[in-house]
Amino acid sequence: MPTAMKTTREVKGVGLAIPRPDGPEKVTGGTEYVADLKPKGMLHAKLLRSPHAHARIKRIDTSKAKALPGVRAILTARDIPTLKRKAPTRAHAVLAIDRVVFVGQPVAAVAADELAIAEEALDLIEVEYEVLPAAVDPLASMQPGAPPVAEAGTEADTSEALAHSGVAAAKSEAGPPKAVNIAQQAKLQRGDVAKAFAESDVVIEKTYRVPMVHQGYLEPHAVLAQWDRNGLLTLWASTQGSFNTRSEVADILGLEENQVRVVPVECGGGFGGKIRALCEPITAALARATGRPVRYVMTRREELEAGNPAPQVIIKLKTGVKRDGTLMALEGETIVESGAFSGAVLTMGAVFLASVYKWPTFEVRGFEVLTHKPSIAAYRAPTAPHTFFAVDSQMELLARALGVDAVEFRLRHLMAEGDPMANGQKWQSNGARQVLERIAEHPLWKNRAAWSATSGQDGHGLCGTGLALGGWIPGLQPTGATVRLNPDGSLGVLTGQVDIAGTNIALAQIAASAYGIDLDKVRITTGDTDVAPMTGLSAGSKTIYTVGTAVLEAARDARRQTLEIAAGEMEAAVEDLEIEEGRVVVRGVPGKGVTLASIGKKGNLYMSKVPPVLGVSHPAFAVQAPAFAAELARIEVDPDTGETTIHDFVVVQDAGKAINPLGVEGQMQGGAVQSIGIALTEAMTFDASGRLTNPSLLDYRKLTAADLPNIETIIVEVPAPAGPFGARGVGEPPIVPAPAALANAVHDAIGVRLTELPLSPERIALALAATRA
Amino acid sequence: MRKHALGCTVNDEPVEVLVQPYDTLLDALREELRLTGPKEGCGTGDCGACTVHLDGKPVASCLVLAMQARGRAVRTIEGLAKSGDLHPLQDAFVRHGVPQCGFCIPGVLMAAAAVLADHPRPTEAQIRYGIAGNLCRCTGYTKMITAIAEAAAAAPAARS
Repeated sequence: MPTAMKTTREVKGVGLAIPRPDGPEKVTGGTEYVADLKPKGMLHAKLLRSPHAHARIKRIDTSKAKALPGVRAILTARDIPTLKRKAPTRAHAVLAIDRVVFVGQPVAAVAADELAIAEEALDLIEVEYEVLPAAVDPLASMQPGAPPVAEAGTEADTSEALAHSGVAAAKSEAGPPKAVNIAQQAKLQRGDVAKAFAESDVVIEKTYRVPMVHQGYLEPHAVLAQWDRNGLLTLWASTQGSFNTRSEVADILGLEENQVRVVPVECGGGFGGKIRALCEPITAALARATGRPVRYVMTRREELEAGNPAPQVIIKLKTGVKRDGTLMALEGETIVESGAFSGAVLTMGAVFLASVYKWPTFEVRGFEVLTHKPSIAAYRAPTAPHTFFAVDSQMELLARALGVDAVEFRLRHLMAEGDPMANGQKWQSNGARQVLERIAEHPLWKNRAAWSATSGQDGHGLCGTGLALGGWIPGLQPTGATVRLNPDGSLGVLTGQVDIAGTNIALAQIAASAYGIDLDKVRITTGDTDVAPMTGLSAGSKTIYTVGTAVLEAARDARRQTLEIAAGEMEAAVEDLEIEEGRVVVRGVPGKGVTLASIGKKGNLYMSKVPPVLGVSHPAFAVQAPAFAAELARIEVDPDTGETTIHDFVVVQDAGKAINPLGVEGQMQGGAVQSIGIALTEAMTFDASGRLTNPSLLDYRKLTAADLPNIETIIVEVPAPAGPFGARGVGEPPIVPAPAALANAVHDAIGVRLTELPLSPERIALALAATRA
Repeated sequence: MRKHALGCTVNDEPVEVLVQPYDTLLDALREELRLTGPKEGCGTGDCGACTVHLDGKPVASCLVLAMQARGRAVRTIEGLAKSGDLHPLQDAFVRHGVPQCGFCIPGVLMAAAAVLADHPRPTEAQIRYGIAGNLCRCTGYTKMITAIAEAAAAAPAARS
């Protein structure tokens, strides 16, 4: 009666909503971050940063600073011989050589006994600049004759796109010769767009703008560097990927990777902003110059002025449909402003623009443009919030113009598995339809007319409801995991996965279910780059999908080894064995079995002939699992101030399989609030000279608890065929839909379409004033 | 510059440390007393990660000079639970899976404890405004609000 037997799926593992085991350390202040580490003899680092967006460095004099007691080293570019003038990435531009290209670019570095001494030393370094004209506006920067940002001949950096997303790049070309600041271009085309527009009954054309925003992780970038006498560099880093940091730092400093060990310290938030090396190379150089451990912690002002934020994106979108709702043509242009160094995820935006709804004919162009501003990096589903803001605002406008239901219009044209994306790849199985259908069933959506009718009643302002779809195609990266059986019968799981959001508990749940042991018998460790199997980035919504697969396979491997050993001991066939409550038992033979502890002990016994159980997996991946969310906002706009109050907010997301629903909900709620922030309050603002005008958290407005309602979460499970237990990535989709959902809600409330973010009180009030004029 | 002797109590223990006149209370706690639970997220009083209690009231310790704490009572996250067990707020935060990256959590908990001291039975609005000075980038605050409300509801009616 095998069906009556306990199977591995019945153990306490996958599907449990269970808190992470390091919670008690996190709530008592016990968890250590880089800034909490202070080895003996540690020096403090500070960087002298450019006050100009674009200038030539004529002279640097560090002599007065070097004479200050307590200063141990001062470095300029000439002290680091491996620096390249044509820096292939921002990380390679450790210190400016003879030209600065954004406000905040490091020019010199100091290591001193105390932070206050290092700060004083910065004031004593004399730099003479010749200020040059700066390219600040991306549209102007695209024109021939704009002040050049990169050194002539610098190649575009596409590694971010490759690291982050599983979508094959569309053809990108080098910029035309005279437009010096266009780093990359992409073009996607199908059919005759001009003809299809000519045959359209309704054509809508809008330009959508989303400003630069900062990822906003609460812990600023920080690193501690120390060299030993054999020339081995150890970095205690706040990073989303220790192996990536190791490779980048080795490359930049001219080291072999085996000369660098990266210890991933608890990461106080990354969201894409802590993938690339930023302050690690210069801190390592200071540690080498001084022979002492050196710690560098960025200030919040430095983070905002000279971190690596998300790009400004300008999307021109023109769409044509027939009177009966048939989609005809889409023409789009995406301009991604990368700041001073190339590195944009250019093609994903272009692909999403024309692929989510089934446009038979389209032409999409993408441009990566350099300006004299801080260079950009990933931010949770890079450029997807921007793209879906345009896409799902436009779908709403088309539905309104046609007088049809906005959700039905979307569902009618939504892609499905097997449909071609704009780059020719086929959509994999996904839950876009299910999340849209589910959110349309929500009472808040069904009762939206009643809510709108309360406008102006009982002290209400202008009331509206809006929803939108959003998604991402999570990344893929080879990875590894080991699972060992301990002498006490418990499992030890080892990966190099940096656990930021609580992924380790979910990985442990996968191991428990795959092996057939309860979760409390599984301990998972994140190893450093010397001890862990190679493990990919904690980015691209791929930890559970890829590392989870490695853990699943390694646990199955350990299970197979365990059963083989037990089979030998009990003279039974492996097929007849099962793991139950810490014992390997023979199906249908009560009382016959061996404990996991006894098998584990024999693997660690002097003169034992039983090999230790060590499950190993190191897969590479080819199959993507697109991940979608839909969000709904019920809002009220104050007609006098333009202020938007969100009364209710709902996230529906396809998790494939929620390995740990508690963690999935946390991702949905946090992602949604970041998405709302992009929609309503966040923007890095620059003056005409390229200087950030809001370099503090007072002026750069992140959402607080008082700005928000509770975020309602609804998990939908459309299994990913290749995901562990059907799981698909959950981190990125929830940051995508809110800009369009809120723009749609504001439109519903005030009757005006806003196409520029954030939807600030000022913008809304001006839009309302214009309707009254 | 000459260092000054700062005498105060920290988590009910009398302490004396030498600090610079320009050192903040956060500097003194983290660098001199090695109480690294309070975090520096901004250094300008905008993020709340450094929140501690000074004579029972929540303050941004990055905006308080160390010498301003002379003769006063400081409580940090390390001293929130007065016995070895978790404080009910800490326990609720763990059970509800509030911490993700965790960097904001020490400050949020100290702000939340101050809310409960002022409002033993807080409304949702009182909780939300009580922690509005604490930025969190991971959680969206929802689970925090739930956990704080639950800890308040579970406490005995007559709180001290």
